[in-house]
Amino acid sequence: MFRRIIHAKWPGFTIALFIILLLLPPLVPRFFIYILGLIYVTSLLAMSLNLVVGHGGMFQFHHAVFYGVGAYTIALLLTKTSWPMWVGFIAGPILAALVGLLIGWFCVRLTRLYFGMLQISLGSLIWAIVFRWYKFTGGDDGIHGVPMPGFLSSLNSSYYFILIILAGSLILLYLILKSPFGSTLQAIRDNPQRCEAVGINVRRHQLRAIVVATFFAGIAGVLFVVLERSVFPDLLFWVLSLEIFIMCLLGGWFTFAGPILGAAITVALRIFVGKYTEYWTLILGIILILLIFFLPEGVMGYFEGAFKTRTKKVAERGNP
Amino acid sequence: MGFLPTFGPAELLSQLIVGLSRAMILFVVCAGLSFVLGVLRVPNIAHGSLYMIGAFATYSFSKSLTGSAGFWLALLLAPLVVAFISLVAERALFRHLYQREHLMLLLFTFALALILGDLVKIVWGAEYRSVAAPDLLKGSISMLGSSFPRYNLFLIFIGLLVAIALWLFVNKTKMGKISRAAAVDRDMVGLLGINVSWVFAGAFVIGCCLAGLGGALVAPTVSITLGMDHTLIIEAFLIVTIGGLGNMWGALAGSLIFGVTQSLGVLFFPQFAIVFPYAAVVIVLLLRPKGLLKSVW
Amino acid sequence: MKRIVTMKGLALLAVLLAAFLFFHPSGVKAQAPIKVGIIDTYTGPPTAYTYDVRDAFKLAIDEVNTKGGVLGRKIEFTTRDDKFKVDLALSMAKELVMNEKVDILMGTINSAGTLAVSEFCKVEKIPFLVTFSKSDKITGEKGHRYVFSITENTVMIGKAAAAGLSKRPFLKYWIAGDDYEYGHALADGVWGNLKKIKPKVELIGQSWWKVGEPDLTPYLTAISAAKPDAVIFATGAASMVNAMKVAKATGFAEKIPMFIHTATELATLAPLGPEAPEKIIGTSNYHFYYPATPKNKAFAKAFRDAYGRYPKVGALYGYLTAQFIAKALEKAGKMDREKFIDVLEGMKIDSPVGEVEMRAYDHQAMLPMFMAVTKKVPTYSFLIASDIVTIPAKEVMPGIEEIKKARGQ
Repeated sequence: MFRRIIHAKWPGFTIALFIILLLLPPLVPRFFIYILGLIYVTSLLAMSLNLVVGHGGMFQFHHAVFYGVGAYTIALLLTKTSWPMWVGFIAGPILAALVGLLIGWFCVRLTRLYFGMLQISLGSLIWAIVFRWYKFTGGDDGIHGVPMPGFLSSLNSSYYFILIILAGSLILLYLILKSPFGSTLQAIRDNPQRCEAVGINVRRHQLRAIVVATFFAGIAGVLFVVLERSVFPDLLFWVLSLEIFIMCLLGGWFTFAGPILGAAITVALRIFVGKYTEYWTLILGIILILLIFFLPEGVMGYFEGAFKTRTKKVAERGNP
Repeated sequence: MGFLPTFGPAELLSQLIVGLSRAMILFVVCAGLSFVLGVLRVPNIAHGSLYMIGAFATYSFSKSLTGSAGFWLALLLAPLVVAFISLVAERALFRHLYQREHLMLLLFTFALALILGDLVKIVWGAEYRSVAAPDLLKGSISMLGSSFPRYNLFLIFIGLLVAIALWLFVNKTKMGKISRAAAVDRDMVGLLGINVSWVFAGAFVIGCCLAGLGGALVAPTVSITLGMDHTLIIEAFLIVTIGGLGNMWGALAGSLIFGVTQSLGVLFFPQFAIVFPYAAVVIVLLLRPKGLLKSVW
Repeated sequence: MKRIVTMKGLALLAVLLAAFLFFHPSGVKAQAPIKVGIIDTYTGPPTAYTYDVRDAFKLAIDEVNTKGGVLGRKIEFTTRDDKFKVDLALSMAKELVMNEKVDILMGTINSAGTLAVSEFCKVEKIPFLVTFSKSDKITGEKGHRYVFSITENTVMIGKAAAAGLSKRPFLKYWIAGDDYEYGHALADGVWGNLKKIKPKVELIGQSWWKVGEPDLTPYLTAISAAKPDAVIFATGAASMVNAMKVAKATGFAEKIPMFIHTATELATLAPLGPEAPEKIIGTSNYHFYYPATPKNKAFAKAFRDAYGRYPKVGALYGYLTAQFIAKALEKAGKMDREKFIDVLEGMKIDSPVGEVEMRAYDHQAMLPMFMAVTKKVPTYSFLIASDIVTIPAKEVMPGIEEIKKARGQ
């Protein structure tokens, strides 16, 4: 296993970057640390989506639901019970993965667009429940001021915590992708019929991938609460799901770390642009169009020169 | 506290009419969405934004002439404005993506939705707008002991007209038949010498025009605001999903289910009326995950 | 491989550089202006209200600044659009405090956003003045030292409405509204208080629709079938105009008396124009034509001259906030957050609606409410409130004992 990590691309660069990020808090303004924290959380969310979209080829149109479930789980546990914090930290991703299993079970029976539309439908139902059940979830008011244990009380300590969990999650994701499981997943993405012919249970494999992806989305949700101490129904809204999609596209969804770059750019732009104009949505739309036309491989994909295989192109055309 | 012990057949009929009229607006919009979905195989996320533009355009046009004439003019012009916008978007940008993978088309419609949403804010500002129903359709008709708002009856009538017109178009006109063929096998249509790109353009414009028409029709019954696009698009997606992707009659079925379950739900359990359409969606999807009617492809 | 590493490194460097450029340090101290940060929703339907808050605030601040400012310093403000999203409200709040380094925070119309930002301000120890959110949790259950509210909340609306409704002959009520926190809180507030004052009233049914429900016709026809004496509408901005419109179109407004909070207010009546229904009972915090005191007239005129439109209720909140800030700074003697809060508690200002006091216990501004009925008049192109009854602030304020209980004290 460690051999895999050592043989990863640019290990030296990554380790150096990690150390620099770890050393930042005393050196840079507080707001920068907050933005980085937000980028880390969003990156993990985007990476979890990309497992099933970029590497799995599935139309996961409502990934935000699992993120929200993870966040709400820990928020509810920490505000409504007096159980220790680590219960929430573990329950969040587990519950997210369970919901992922449930929704995924229905979705994998279908393919492509049907898969996506069904997921939007079921996901919207969960959003509606969270939004309306105000006695339990706080409804559209949300839950705020979620108490965190002492060792996470400051922005800096939250930053370290998030960064370390992010690093661990990324290593896990990398190992999963490089493992036989990951290779099979990508094979299914490229040619599901051939995989069936070789005896792979495509549906079961896809479902497993969904469970893994939603587990990490749940972790991202928990980290969000660590950073912001709030949850609200927007975390499960379909617009967020599409925004995560855009992050993967922007960064490059056939690369490993592309979504991280996409998330970083999106988060930074959102706040930066939001300072100067009310029309952030307009600008996001224009950026998206530019991406679609000129940079479909995303920023990282452009740099890495990753291209789809010819077989994938042929297999896709004409199939909804 | 929800049961309404005092309603009788008159109230039931009245609610049914209201539910049907609501379903008709949904049908007009979702028929367009389904049509685009069927021919281009893309769920048009910008559909809600075009609906919103239809409503705002109706507001502007109706103010241009005094009295009711303004509304009728708007009903005619607003869908055309929306059709024009969609044509421009399609010819300038969208059509270059037909050879690309489907996710790109989907993301393009999302980008379009984002842009159009803000454009409405730029052009019309953020205030609530209101459009009055034309004098001919104001008030209610008293029948069978209950009163039916004239405008709702008008909507049902228009909805039926649109359904008939679409049926004729798809089954009796050359263009309609080509659209159906292109939905099933675009390569074959191309091989037959027909310009597939123009077929797609036509389908897209017609679909969007219907969204604009829906917005124009709904204008007198609601307050016209920013954010109309978001509320509508989720409902439209759900309807199209339970109806069967690309199937216009499925869109009709889905719209009826939505509209009627909601209005009847209001009568029986007004506290939980909002749950009914969602519950219907869940039930349909559990039994038939691909939708009630067969998808076009 | 090496080339790509360099390009990737360059890209990263570019991003980091842009980031550092973004975080330019603020202005120097000394005669630097006092900075106020406003987070509010400037996208979508709420802008009909929030523009007034911002514009009236600007009007007041300009007045103060032309007189030389406060403590020899000018007051400056900057706005951020939260697009009615809570995560943006939080991010923008953090940006304003950590990056822009504002001294005071103001906003927002989104109750959830307000609650989230309020928690943040508690941790950061920076004063937060709430300008439009109506959740009673803000100064009630979740209130704390650093948050102040310059707008009414659902408890106050409930008490005012109950006071006014109890004087009318209605006994059988129906409650209808938007199915979200605000709607339910409003309904609970009105009904709870009404039942206390007049135990004979009876709730014969409820209807709840999703927020922004475009077609309310089925709901209204169902309600009229039940024949209540009156209907209490617990609607937010989105459905308010809708409800009035449908009520007029179906003739509902003629047959059954309706009560809607802010039905009599300009923001609701202006878009409907002459088509608005008459005889709707409503409560509101502000009318530019009432009370016809010199102060109110002057304020309305100044606003109209500056912005070309009549002030709506948001304008009152914005103006009041500016008045409170200016007077508190003057009294505190310097821009010190803790001192600012200390002097703000219990402070009284002379506002367009009379004297308003900032209650020390919960930091809730004591605003009077006005109950009235909509009426068409030839002088304006919109309906106005008539038969206005003033309900003094003392009668509508939330009980301190209830707040203590809610806070678990």
